Amino acid sequence: MERMKIGKEKFGDFLTALDKQLYAPQKVGETLRFVPVTPENKLDLEFSNTTVPPKSVLFPQVETLYQYELGKTDLNLPDGGEERVLVGVRPCDARAMAIVDNLFSWDIDDPYYLAKREKTTVIGLACSEPGMNCFCTSVGGGPASTEGLDLLLTDLGEVFLLQSLTEKGKRLCQEAEGTLEQATEEEVTSAEKLHQEAAGKIVRNIDTGGISEKLPELWDSSLWQDVSEACLGCGTCTFLCPTCHCFDIQDEAEGLEGRRCRVWDSCMFSEYTLHASGHNPRPTRRERTRNRVNHKYSYFVTKFERTACVGCGRCINLCPVNIDILNILAEVIKEAI
Amino acid sequence: MVDLEKLRTVARETISRDDVKYLIGWRQGTYGFRVSPCFIKEPGEAEQLIFSPLCTNNLASYLIVMEKLPLPRGEQPDTRKVAVMVKGCDSRAVVQQLIEQGTKREELYIIGCPCEGVLDLKKVEAKFPHILDPVTVQWGKDKIIFQLPEGVEEVPREEVLAQKCLDCRDPNPVIADITLGEGVQAWGNGEYQDVQELEAKGAEERWSFWEDKFNSCIRCYSCRNVCPMCYCKDCVLDRLNPSWVYRSSNVSENTAFHLSRAFHLAGRCVECGECERVCPVDIPLMKLNKKLAKEVEEKYGYRPGLDPEAKPLQSSYRPDDKEDFIL
Amino acid sequence: MKENANPYKPEIVTIEDTWQETYGDRAIKTFKVVLDDEEARENWSHRPGQCAMIGVLGVGESMISISCSPTEGKFLRFSVMRAGKVTQALHELEPGDKMTVRGPYGNSFPVDEWKGKNILTIGGGIGQAPLRPIIEYVKANRADYKNLSLIYGARTSADLCFKSEFEALNDRDDINYHLSIDIEEEGWPHYVGFVPSLLMEVNPSPENTIAITCGPPVMINFVLQNLKQLNFTDEQIYTTLENRMKCGIGKCGRCNVAHLYVCKDGPVFSYATLKSIPEAFA
Repeated sequence: MERMKIGKEKFGDFLTALDKQLYAPQKVGETLRFVPVTPENKLDLEFSNTTVPPKSVLFPQVETLYQYELGKTDLNLPDGGEERVLVGVRPCDARAMAIVDNLFSWDIDDPYYLAKREKTTVIGLACSEPGMNCFCTSVGGGPASTEGLDLLLTDLGEVFLLQSLTEKGKRLCQEAEGTLEQATEEEVTSAEKLHQEAAGKIVRNIDTGGISEKLPELWDSSLWQDVSEACLGCGTCTFLCPTCHCFDIQDEAEGLEGRRCRVWDSCMFSEYTLHASGHNPRPTRRERTRNRVNHKYSYFVTKFERTACVGCGRCINLCPVNIDILNILAEVIKEAI
Repeated sequence: MVDLEKLRTVARETISRDDVKYLIGWRQGTYGFRVSPCFIKEPGEAEQLIFSPLCTNNLASYLIVMEKLPLPRGEQPDTRKVAVMVKGCDSRAVVQQLIEQGTKREELYIIGCPCEGVLDLKKVEAKFPHILDPVTVQWGKDKIIFQLPEGVEEVPREEVLAQKCLDCRDPNPVIADITLGEGVQAWGNGEYQDVQELEAKGAEERWSFWEDKFNSCIRCYSCRNVCPMCYCKDCVLDRLNPSWVYRSSNVSENTAFHLSRAFHLAGRCVECGECERVCPVDIPLMKLNKKLAKEVEEKYGYRPGLDPEAKPLQSSYRPDDKEDFIL
Repeated sequence: MKENANPYKPEIVTIEDTWQETYGDRAIKTFKVVLDDEEARENWSHRPGQCAMIGVLGVGESMISISCSPTEGKFLRFSVMRAGKVTQALHELEPGDKMTVRGPYGNSFPVDEWKGKNILTIGGGIGQAPLRPIIEYVKANRADYKNLSLIYGARTSADLCFKSEFEALNDRDDINYHLSIDIEEEGWPHYVGFVPSLLMEVNPSPENTIAITCGPPVMINFVLQNLKQLNFTDEQIYTTLENRMKCGIGKCGRCNVAHLYVCKDGPVFSYATLKSIPEAFA
């Protein structure tokens, strides 16, 4: 692993040298999310984490699958888009991308997601001040985890330490060679120390060992009714979850032409599994909550041997009724004993 | 001020009644300043109940959220009462639901809690970041008292109360089977200050303001789901056949979404502020709803959710109405 | 289906023929369609049990079982019950109109494993549509299979599908069929009662037999109970599950039953797989 450094004042030059479309956290409305920026935009990398995770770049809220014109048999398919660089992705969100890659390439490739993924280089930013509800270390991650990242930045005060992690990362560094310097041993050690300290600052921990086996046994438990009673059935937890990937396919017709697009959908919505016949296999919030927790911590593990949760804490921070996944898991563990 | 012991005693007595199914109240949340709605079914569970400036959730939403599944053959519906704790604004929501016959009076047992204002969590968490252990918060005279791990902090109420509370005209429940604690003096002046500020701006500036906000909407439906007045079985914003509003998020569709909701709430919105609180991307929805509430009050002299005997605004006609025809 | 094709991009097909199977609110209409693109038509191959996403541009798509066997020819058949937005739009189509088709999706009935065995299909209402390809496949490879028995019922005689095909079976002596309707009707010569009861009447032997059942969830539950009573093993019983589907390729997440996706791990499941999954019988 190559370790280089770059002075913060030179970071703009580094980004300019990359000559690719940049995405970085900026305020949209009142909250942060990853949007296209130019190197001239003031990049604020002092944030805790964005409200909307960077999945919105690879898997946008709405994406045109194809456009059509009635009477014609050609369907216009959009292309993969341009080369892009995501700057300032937290390690948890990058791990989430690696997790979601599994699903979008399972058996049949999803060309829209994978084409974008292929053309995306991810520059991560190690966390030095984890959020209060972060629990990445409980699900196999960490404040400086490298999975899913091509480059990792660590903020050392005056400079960023830069670790190149993949071929893509290496190529990127080569493009901006002039702006980078070799990092000193001290700086590397400093960074490692920061990473360890950050991990130590995580206050909420849980032992998730064995949960994927325990969950199916608790299928009929009353705990699901208890934990879901306050649920409003909104889409906040799912839309802001970096590993959630469920979508709906909708047709938008304007006369003789239109498009078929996909939009974010949520398993917590009441009509998610509603059949046209009126039958709904998950009729209440109890079944839907049970399904969501099982999917993240059990079904995804069965299919892909990965827990589909990276401990980013967004669902805990933003659930309006304080349904807390760590609380649910604690109940599961308690009951399974 | 609501005495906790009295609250818990009343709760225990209520849940022990044969004709009460369960009681909806608030309990301390899983960390810091959070509070969670709880559903008490046994007297022993009443210990968890609290009432403090942290109790932001409008529990009236749960009166209409509960799913009604088809019953097995021969089984009668359980029409026992649902007991619910309500603040001033929440009680207006209950009254409006009764006016619209969304709920039945005999199926409710309303526990009124006069309220001196609840906190805006964003302001509080900015002021006191990284508080993990559950915090006790109380109302003081014109201030809020926080019992933090490092010690007691007293903060002027304007700094930490929710905006909707700072303008509140109805801090006392307008309907209750039992009221806990003394009534409080209302302090809102009904001038709709923040709406006036936005109204004073030109059309282009206002449109630019809303375009910026609606652009950020991710269509999570939290605002619709939390709203105690949104309980249409066949919500126009869910309908796909025909599709009134597409599911895709862009300024056009999002504007249609929010304006549709605002207009559907005109004359019904009780300004409980939940929609704005739950929005994950902080869209100032109360400005929209309050604008319409202001219009309704100015034009019709009507404020929803105050009188259970009143008729819904848009489905009532008086001989002395200004217009002589419905259009 | 081409290897690297965009799996969301449908083929355009033309409707060659359509006819009503049943009428009323939940009318069922059968479509016989042909792919427009010659290469796609030549390369199309599917197996009994598979489904396809069919739809109308501007309206949407629905996952419908392909109710013909590949042995029948270079066309596709779908029997669609009118229930929602998309199926309503499909019902308005006539011969000459275009539809979109994506597929084939899902797994299939293991008809090769079943060679040399007795085949028993138990269908209810529209549930006969996914069973039909098995029947046609067995007919086309008759010597490979032993007895073929069909049990099929619907609420009334007007709700029975493929009536003419059942009548045609009278002309052969190598396929038995038993029909039922739920309530008495004048002139009805067959059994009156529910399909699970008819199953007990027929009293099939489980010896070297595979039983496949499709129909309304309530019927399936009772049929499964009765098959167990008749001593069928879990591995001898097959059914299909359905769920609301959108992508058909295991991406959109909504058709899952526990860790199984109906669009990819199903729709065909043996009872042995399903019995340990509580959500399968929701």
